[in-house]
Amino acid sequence: MRDDPRETSIEHRLKSWAGSRTDVQPSPEILQRIQRELRSSLVPVNPLPGESKLVATFLGGFAACAAGLIAVMDKTGFHLMTAAQIVWMAVILAAGGLLFSLMIAWQMVPASRHRFSLPVGLALCGLAVIGGVALLFPWRTPSSFVSEGWPCAAMELVVAVPAAFVFFLLARRGALWGSAGIGATLSGLAAVLALTALQGRCMFQQAPHLLVWHAGTAAILIGSGALIGHAIP
Amino acid sequence: MSEASIDDRELRNLMTQYQRADPAALNDLVRRVSPPLLRYFRSSRPGRNDAEDLLQECWIRIHRSRHTYRASEPVMPWIYAIARHTRLDAYRKRRRLESREVLVAAVPERFQDAAPEVLREPDGFDRLIAGLPETQREVLVLLKVSGMSLEEVAKATASTVGAVKQKAHRAYATLRRALAKDFDNAG
Repeated sequence: MRDDPRETSIEHRLKSWAGSRTDVQPSPEILQRIQRELRSSLVPVNPLPGESKLVATFLGGFAACAAGLIAVMDKTGFHLMTAAQIVWMAVILAAGGLLFSLMIAWQMVPASRHRFSLPVGLALCGLAVIGGVALLFPWRTPSSFVSEGWPCAAMELVVAVPAAFVFFLLARRGALWGSAGIGATLSGLAAVLALTALQGRCMFQQAPHLLVWHAGTAAILIGSGALIGHAIP
Repeated sequence: MSEASIDDRELRNLMTQYQRADPAALNDLVRRVSPPLLRYFRSSRPGRNDAEDLLQECWIRIHRSRHTYRASEPVMPWIYAIARHTRLDAYRKRRRLESREVLVAAVPERFQDAAPEVLREPDGFDRLIAGLPETQREVLVLLKVSGMSLEEVAKATASTVGAVKQKAHRAYATLRRALAKDFDNAG
């Protein structure tokens, strides 16, 4: 293969193409202008904490908000769920909180090592919630599906929108540049928080209701967050 | 001076000093890092003469986010990650502006002479590189021009090593096809 003149040619051309770039130098005036401009606002800064501390901050914020919301909200959902449903849903939602906290921390620091891509993270979270609800809860559709459903969607929005703003304030210390990814992850963490609060409150613990009005609203929230993030210059 | 010749330990030290507001460290850092950054911008956007503007914009971003650098991490991937965002944002801004522009049937005569200075048409192998999809060209530039490792490119592009390998492989395949066409035409 190495003897193929085409292979030799591509390597040779790539090498000479890269080599032709090495003589590119910025003009001294440009360097001086940059140095002058940066020196004018040079003050000491505290480096961001490590990745694990950033994740702990978001996860701690998530847990504190979830505990506070569950404490003040109606707890009908807990009385209607079985022990297995409570435990599994708690595990899935806590894992979702951890996943989104990780993804936010990676995006706050340039050149962080991403263990998996954002679409993979979102797909994992979505599959866990959909799979968990589909397997754990009965497939009964109530007669008044819409009238029972929309108050849950509205409550989810009421919780998630301010929560997303709080998480944004926490994330602002990082290097956030308007992107769909940061919008999706911040709104994703807020959506998981709203799902957690709603799960303990909701009196309609059936799979169709939970999938459409709870998980569906969370998906819309994440999509909206991505669009807002993309639109911000 | 290539990036490979920039001692990462020295750069880490300079970055730490820069975070502590040492003006000498700032000057040294700008002097050392600007040439490879300018090469990156020139190679990533062939045919455009805005590399020095991007360099200045990139340094402003580096300055604003210098607190996000951690001394335990290598410096250049962190800097290229910021440079990449600078380039992508400039590209998006240009796209937005272009979409608002009104097409004119003919360029007014007095602007025709100025046009080649704004847009320099790449030729030869440059043209093949320019024809690659954005993500593949970026990986080639970081690997070949900036001399980074697969792991460093993955960090700078917020990606995984596997994804970087795949993009490089696809870029090679595209270039191979284009060169084969040239060979066949010449033959």
